[in-house]
Amino acid sequence: MSALAWPRDGVIALLVVAALGLSSAPGPVLGQETACPTPEGFGAFEAPLPKTAKALARGKEVVIVTLGGSSSLGSAAGGISQSWPSRLAVALTGRFPAARIKVVNLAKPRQTAREAAERLAREVLPLKPTLVVWETGTMEAVHGTGVDDLRETVQVGLDELHAAGIEVALMNPQFSRDADTMIHFAPYLAAVRELADANDVPVFHRYGLMRRWAESGVLDLRTRESEERRRLAARLYDCIGRAMAEFVARGGPVGEPPPGRRP
Amino acid sequence: MTEAGRDLRLDVFRGLALFCIFVDHLPDNMLSQFTLQTVMFGDAAEVFILISGYTAGMVYGRAMDRQGFVVGAVRVGHRVWQLYVAHVFLFVTFMAIMAYSVEALNSSLYAEESQAADFLNDPGVAVVKALTLQFQPAYMDILPLYIVLLAVLPFALAGFRRWPWAVLAGSLALWLAAQIDPRIALSAYPGPNRVWAFNPFGWQALFLLGAWLGWRGVRGALPWLDRPWLLRLAAGFALAAFVVRFSWTLHGLYPPIPALGSGKSLWLFLSKEDLGLFRFASVLALALLVARLVPPRARFLAGRAAWPFVVCGRHSLHIFCLGILLAVIGHLVLNESFGHFFMQVVVTAVGIGIMVAVAALMDWFASARDGAAGRVAEGAPLSRGES
Repeated sequence: MSALAWPRDGVIALLVVAALGLSSAPGPVLGQETACPTPEGFGAFEAPLPKTAKALARGKEVVIVTLGGSSSLGSAAGGISQSWPSRLAVALTGRFPAARIKVVNLAKPRQTAREAAERLAREVLPLKPTLVVWETGTMEAVHGTGVDDLRETVQVGLDELHAAGIEVALMNPQFSRDADTMIHFAPYLAAVRELADANDVPVFHRYGLMRRWAESGVLDLRTRESEERRRLAARLYDCIGRAMAEFVARGGPVGEPPPGRRP
Repeated sequence: MTEAGRDLRLDVFRGLALFCIFVDHLPDNMLSQFTLQTVMFGDAAEVFILISGYTAGMVYGRAMDRQGFVVGAVRVGHRVWQLYVAHVFLFVTFMAIMAYSVEALNSSLYAEESQAADFLNDPGVAVVKALTLQFQPAYMDILPLYIVLLAVLPFALAGFRRWPWAVLAGSLALWLAAQIDPRIALSAYPGPNRVWAFNPFGWQALFLLGAWLGWRGVRGALPWLDRPWLLRLAAGFALAAFVVRFSWTLHGLYPPIPALGSGKSLWLFLSKEDLGLFRFASVLALALLVARLVPPRARFLAGRAAWPFVVCGRHSLHIFCLGILLAVIGHLVLNESFGHFFMQVVVTAVGIGIMVAVAALMDWFASARDGAAGRVAEGAPLSRGES
């Protein structure tokens, strides 16, 4: 499987995989040492984050602010130190030891896009971030609030951040088979995609990535038992943090490419 | 449309819309890349509402002509009641499925964010809000719209007799206002910012325009609809919509293919909530093309290939509700075998097969009943399609 293996919504991947009857066999992977391999080509078609990648590679100061809800706060894993932003900081520091990397996690449980957007001016801009990773669409999907409203709200936020010269990456909701039964995610995933396309910002396709992990049996996201679920969440957030580190450093000028990374 | 027979085109396209709604409701279904929403701005909802408006205008307009306003209005009221009962039935089913899956949800990674889907904490309020049409969980948003639209139909029909242009102008003005002012919406539960998924103030324009065309069509043809420039305009718009919209689909399948004309400037015109201009125009253009290019007596409409569509379109309310249930069940099945394209095809095919089988059974039952009771030549075929 070539670069086709990770189109933005995994559709061709599904087709190819189904056609070959290989759906449970994991494909070629990046970062073999992680428990949850990121499919090759993940994020390859997303807009790059040149400033951030450059600052990381040149060992400068990099401030990353993350916005989102409980899943960005690490609650299910037992605390903020287990959240994906904290794991992102660890992964990035490991990869770019010279850079001074600071990840400020401004996630809040059940935070809507509107609530997040209202905090930008007062809480985000003063931190002078290089990059803002905005996890959004989750509460809107849970509440079933209007897609139009989500688009408008995030658009205003993106304009505000871009005006301040800050790079932005969007992150879409989590995948969960159990939630999927009750919550209709498709329009919200599409809205995040449209926002990204219209503003030339990348989407970290968390929904697709988690779906892929669940499908290939890498992470059994359906665990019921609470202690096991806590461990699972910790592992999941670690995987997402690592994948995010790869994602923000894409296309950077130098830096240590991990084994197996395509030139 | 002639007095004697049904216009099979209405049934065929309503059947098509019903199949598309079912396919689109199966989550992560590859096949939903190939429904109406792939080739036009808008989707099956627009087709469904336009045809429903047309049929309702035709059927109840005629009833009102013959039996007067009161009898006509009561017939509409009876239909509204049937739709309402269907809505309540779907809601009860929805609650049962929720009660069954809420435990799984609460032990999932979504537990904190969804908090047991909130409404189950206060089921009493949820039930009341469902009865007032304000609680519209996933998939349960189009029937409330339809109920409200049909409820105002008698007044619109009465208006068509006296001041048709004033009614249509008022309807369009309300649509325009809904595009511009987000406050022109109906609030939904749970609040505070939630509104109806289909804004009736926007969508009424499509329904009433359809109703007027159906009402007016009974009274003879509208010559200006046959103007060549209008056809060319419709064809041009439909083609442009197809090219643009299909490029988005291809872009989604394979990102290096560029998405034409996508961007924030179009969002206002593509609102599903308020029925944005492009969605409105897209379905009208498609309807005009079909009306001109497919003759009402076209052979294939009565043929074998069209039969599954016809039979489902003829029993649209029941098949719509069945489609919703099948989508939920299909979802549970796909959840156990997800990621397999083959299973998506199987679930889709089985679901459509069940829809056709039930529609065929209803058709058979209706004709057996009518046969036994002696032909009520006029009432029977119409009452089957009153929606």
